[in-house]
Amino acid sequence: MTEPRLLQNFSGSRAIVVTDRASSLDVLTTSLNRLGVTTNPADIVESLAAIDLATLQADRDVIFIDGDGDISDAAVLPRSAIGRLPPVPIIGLLGVSAPSRLKALMRAGATSFLRKPVHGAAVYPALFVGVNEYRRHRHLEALLEDQGRRRRGRRDLVKAIIRTMSEYGIDDDEAYDLLRRRSMAMRQTMEDFCKDLVESPDGREHGEFVLRRKLAD
Amino acid sequence: MLNGALLAAEEINASGLGIRLEPSVLNPGGNLSQYSALAAKLLKREIRHVVGCYTSSSRKEVIPLFEKHDALLWYPSHYEGFESSTNVIYTGAAPNQHVLPLVEYLIQHHGHRAFCVGSNYIWAWENNRILRESVMARGGSVLAERYFAIGETDFHQAIEAIIAARPSFVFLTLIGTSAYQFFRDFRAACRARGIDQAREIPVASCSLSEPELEAIGEGAVDGHLSSSVYFCSIQSPANLRFLDAYEARFPKGPTASADAEASYNAVWLLARAAAAARTDDPRAIKAEVVHQHLDAPQGKVWIDEQTFHAYLTPRIGRSNRQARFDLISEARAPVQPDPYLVHNSSRFEAAAVPSLRLVS
Repeated sequence: MTEPRLLQNFSGSRAIVVTDRASSLDVLTTSLNRLGVTTNPADIVESLAAIDLATLQADRDVIFIDGDGDISDAAVLPRSAIGRLPPVPIIGLLGVSAPSRLKALMRAGATSFLRKPVHGAAVYPALFVGVNEYRRHRHLEALLEDQGRRRRGRRDLVKAIIRTMSEYGIDDDEAYDLLRRRSMAMRQTMEDFCKDLVESPDGREHGEFVLRRKLAD
Repeated sequence: MLNGALLAAEEINASGLGIRLEPSVLNPGGNLSQYSALAAKLLKREIRHVVGCYTSSSRKEVIPLFEKHDALLWYPSHYEGFESSTNVIYTGAAPNQHVLPLVEYLIQHHGHRAFCVGSNYIWAWENNRILRESVMARGGSVLAERYFAIGETDFHQAIEAIIAARPSFVFLTLIGTSAYQFFRDFRAACRARGIDQAREIPVASCSLSEPELEAIGEGAVDGHLSSSVYFCSIQSPANLRFLDAYEARFPKGPTASADAEASYNAVWLLARAAAAARTDDPRAIKAEVVHQHLDAPQGKVWIDEQTFHAYLTPRIGRSNRQARFDLISEARAPVQPDPYLVHNSSRFEAAAVPSLRLVS
């Protein structure tokens, strides 16, 4: 699974700002505009509950949450099963940097922070880190999911190796190598291939299974 | 840079614009720690407009002071972008006005294989990144990136590596004496092997100007490519007027260059904005400067109201034996500044080489 490339140009992105102090957002919105990130008046909301979740797109949107406001409704955001990630990257706006506020923002899913009053030069780095950390977490989450699936498939893999060993009179290394080559030829993961093999009625792979030729390869 | 600013100040005082400028000149001598000390001194004297700084590191040193005092720094140097401080007006070229046009030209006319040699600091790192992404997006490759301490003059090994690799071009981000020595040594090494360096392995740079060509000296001065918004060989009435005035005022040199022109433009923009605002208040001047269109030596110049960088006209020049540039490419009109390369770069960083492994 290829690691995601770093996102460096945020042109075309949309920023949603959750704050009850909308009057002090000039520097943030101007700086975002310079980076090609749009913030429409409708995207500045007073609570997370006001966000239309159906319109959120992970590869386009970023949510800025003002940590000085009430963010006890962070639970309205759906979370991913493994990493508890929100549907889009979240960047925390920090006025009071007390542990309780930092904790609340991290719980809401913030992957980077911007200190208030917002300094124009700090916006690009915060966006860069926030979005790319989110993407990295997503990638790790997908990796974990894949590892879990593979772990669950090990049982079929062991069964398939034993069956192949006894059927062809070969040792476990040869059996493993044979199964790996065949799974690659079938463009299946080894776990899926072994599952099919174990579940097939005669315990054989669908189609011919020419051991001698394969071992000679 | 200083000469351009002084010339503009004198012209403004004699122009009847209604603005009188009294330049205060302080020289940090390239010493990084001196920049903030001297800037603080100026700001303490209630001077609220400062033209200057060449390197990015010096600019970064003083910006916090300008923000604290709500003063304006008029920064007249081309730089690597990714900044837009609310207390800086940038009159030099942004990366989409120098690096990108150069990459485009190099790939079109010289090939896809780049060799990068630079001074070990942000200017070189960032320009090489931009070059790498552009070259790779077009299916080309960067054969190597070599960095040297600022002031280094021993390039023997790098030159051997370049000659062995035979790139389509060398992208040079060395600065000052390092660059001059590299040009001389590279030309000599190629000549000793019968290689026509300027034709076969041209050196391209975004920071090569006329005074620097003079510093390289005879024998290695010609055939180098430079990307800049200003060359003194521009044939326009505004530039001829500028050059006449500059040479009359500074007969002993140095020759007018892109930096002189950018600081000349900065001071003129400042004066025009101050005349329109009828005050030297930085905020009022910032509000007015975006309405000023200057008939500058390079052509029309004005400030973009979103980024406070300048609309400038990118050009590519090839150096000749007279230590001047022959213009070989020129944008048709001033180009909008794009300091964050929002409109001019891919969404993602350049793809790394696929990590393949042998599986059987």
